[in-house]
Amino acid sequence: MAAAPSPADHPHNGLDAPDGPVQRTKVLLLGLRRAGKTSILEVLFNQLPPKQTFYLETTMRIVKHQVDTVIPLEIWDTPANVTAENLGAPLSEFSSIIFVIDIRDLYNQPISKLVEFILAANKAKGDIPIEVFVHKAEKLQEEDKIENYRQINDRVLDRLIDIDPDYEHLNISFHLTSVYDHSLHESFSKVLQKLVESLPFLEGLLNVFCANSQSPKAFLFDIRSRLYVATDASPVDSATHNLCCDYLQMLNSFGPLYKSITSGSSRQRPATQTPTPAASSGPSRSPSLHDSAAGSQSSDAPISPGPPKKHPKELFYPSAATTLHPVTPGTTLTYHLITRHLALLAVLPTSVYESRRGLLEYNIVFFREGIQEICDVEDEVRDGG
Amino acid sequence: MKKKVLLMGASGSGKTSMRSIIFSNNPASLTSRLGATIDVEQNHVRFLGDLILNLWDCGGQDAFMDSYLTSQRATIFQHVGVLIYVFDIESREAAKDLEYYRDCLEGLRQFSPNAAIFLLVHKMDLVRAGREVTFEKKRDELQECSPELSLSVFGTSIYDESLYKAWSNIVHTLIPNANILSTHLSTFAQACSATEVILFERTTFLVIATSSSSSSRPALSSTNGRTNNDARQSDNPANTLDPTRYERTSELIKAFKHSCSRVRGEFHSLEMELWDFTAVLDEMTKNTYVLIIVHDPSIETAALKLNIRMARRKFEELQGDSLISS
Ligand SMILES: Nc1nc2c(ncn2[C@@H]2O[C@H](COP(=O)(O)OP(=O)(O)OP(=O)(O)O)[C@@H](O)[C@H]2O)c(=O)[nH]1
Ligand SMILES: Nc1nc2c(ncn2[C@@H]2O[C@H](COP(=O)(O)OP(=O)(O)O)[C@@H](O)[C@H]2O)c(=O)[nH]1
Ligand SMILES: [Mg+2]
Repeated sequence: MAAAPSPADHPHNGLDAPDGPVQRTKVLLLGLRRAGKTSILEVLFNQLPPKQTFYLETTMRIVKHQVDTVIPLEIWDTPANVTAENLGAPLSEFSSIIFVIDIRDLYNQPISKLVEFILAANKAKGDIPIEVFVHKAEKLQEEDKIENYRQINDRVLDRLIDIDPDYEHLNISFHLTSVYDHSLHESFSKVLQKLVESLPFLEGLLNVFCANSQSPKAFLFDIRSRLYVATDASPVDSATHNLCCDYLQMLNSFGPLYKSITSGSSRQRPATQTPTPAASSGPSRSPSLHDSAAGSQSSDAPISPGPPKKHPKELFYPSAATTLHPVTPGTTLTYHLITRHLALLAVLPTSVYESRRGLLEYNIVFFREGIQEICDVEDEVRDGG
Repeated sequence: MKKKVLLMGASGSGKTSMRSIIFSNNPASLTSRLGATIDVEQNHVRFLGDLILNLWDCGGQDAFMDSYLTSQRATIFQHVGVLIYVFDIESREAAKDLEYYRDCLEGLRQFSPNAAIFLLVHKMDLVRAGREVTFEKKRDELQECSPELSLSVFGTSIYDESLYKAWSNIVHTLIPNANILSTHLSTFAQACSATEVILFERTTFLVIATSSSSSSRPALSSTNGRTNNDARQSDNPANTLDPTRYERTSELIKAFKHSCSRVRGEFHSLEMELWDFTAVLDEMTKNTYVLIIVHDPSIETAALKLNIRMARRKFEELQGDSLISS
């Protein structure tokens, strides 16, 4: 099946999806009836308001969702009676298995099913990551939540060790999730990161960016799903992640709101105008800056430059910044579009943002070049395969 | 200047919920924790400059309603500036709701005949199909109850922007000379080469005035002759923008303000250079925020910010004037 270009808000940016079939990374979504599998997909990828998941109907057959994040995914939503045998594809084809358990469901059934799949997956291909979403976590008070989470965790591992002590070392991660808060986004981000082969390179560029821009935290977000694909080496604190996620959501909603039918998208034309006099204190997105960075970066790039890029260079990339009180010392959150799918969200001291805009813009250009190159290489591998 | 605002309607219809969302920056998801309001909860909200809203959130259980209409009648219904009456669209006692509503209108006629009346048909999100038709039916029913009044009826829900639309309209009637603000906003918009400029109240983020609204208000059409060198002004692209943009902007910013308050502070300002437009949202006066929308790609955010800084004093003055001259 052809990869449908995502219905992006900016069709003119020349970065259209490739025409041919692409190789999609397969993710299997498992769990009992009403565990919340379909809700998770709808909330993450179709912007369904969490409250509306109440009206979703039970999944009766396997549904394959093609989702275009930074990497093309194919997520299989399954009915509860699916087994490794009647799945219709060998487990080894999947790059990740997500198992959803209702946090109040401490009975044998879901755990047996989960263990059964873990064993089958291990037999098919040893290293498939198993992600257990202990779901609907918001339903319980803090104490019960931790207790049930721990119990589910222990029972699964006990059962596995009973079968074979070696299974202690299987690649299983547990996550507390709920469609009603950011835990779902944060957990699914971690699942996605394991699927992105170039992750170390992306992280490397983020680390360089943070060090050069005095940014305490930066995320590379997949714009539409608001999952982060990579972040710098400093620890992720949930509050900062949540704020960045909400900021991105606001910007995503703002974009189309003031789109004018008559004025067209004039951004695509080269900027020939001279800046307005009042703007002299500010930075400018001058094309020359772009070029100079392009020239200087290729030797440092983590991946050697491949054949000429198929993506024409943009003259304009959307950006945004928001400042929080107190204004001094103060925090600024910046947003910069990096590729068709990705945006850089960075936390900066407001003083740095205001006094060193030029340097920041320079670092962004450098960062963008690097990320685009990595993504081009990944895309090519998939197109060819 | 103080304005008394009565918030009435059956118990559970959503009065306290909307008050806490609009005036206390609470998210909709937390309203399910609210208990029934006992008797009247009074709040003073400093809205704009010297304008203080004196909100009376009147608990809607029958016993309270009966007492508002009898022993407390004068206290409740005198000096009212605005009555906001809330109807739960899913109410199982619609007939009783209407009866109380009629009785309240009677009380208002007696003590505050000049009060403005707004009716909110609330919890519209619960209507799964035929929202428009359901709303119109309810509106006609309400109009039948009070044929002599020209009613302002809004369909609302705390889960979307409709709440902001209704409340922006309500507060608009409370701001004397909001039209003068609009005129000055359009001048300011021209100075910025902006498509549109919108002024928000600072804490509620309700829309107070916009640069475009003067054209829809016939009384101000005379100011349109001032267009200088820009010929595009006559077919202003603002006319082609999404008609729900104001209330949706209020909702978006309020949601983001709430996100900020959970982390390291308070929202302060925002600037964007997106595919289709450039925008700056920043403090204008002590009580207001301004949003400038520009479609001309040659205008930079730094220029807009500078213009805001230069316009601040003028708008502080204006705001004072517009309230005093009432
Ligand atoms: N679905 C839906 N529920 C709403 C809406 N607005 C409020 N509610 C819910 O309605 C319930 C009652 O809301 P309140 O605000 O306490 O009602 P009230 O009118 O103040 O009631 P009294 O104080 O007893 O007069 C809460 O559980 C709210 O979450 C809405 O727009 N849609
Ligand atoms: N409280 C709560 N309910 C949820 C959550 N996720 C899903 N649900 C509800 O669980 C029910 C079953 O969801 P569904 O996605 O159809 O389950 P599936 O059969 O696994 O696909 C629905 O009524 C959802 O509203 C959650 O995080 N919290
Ligand atoms: Mg109440």
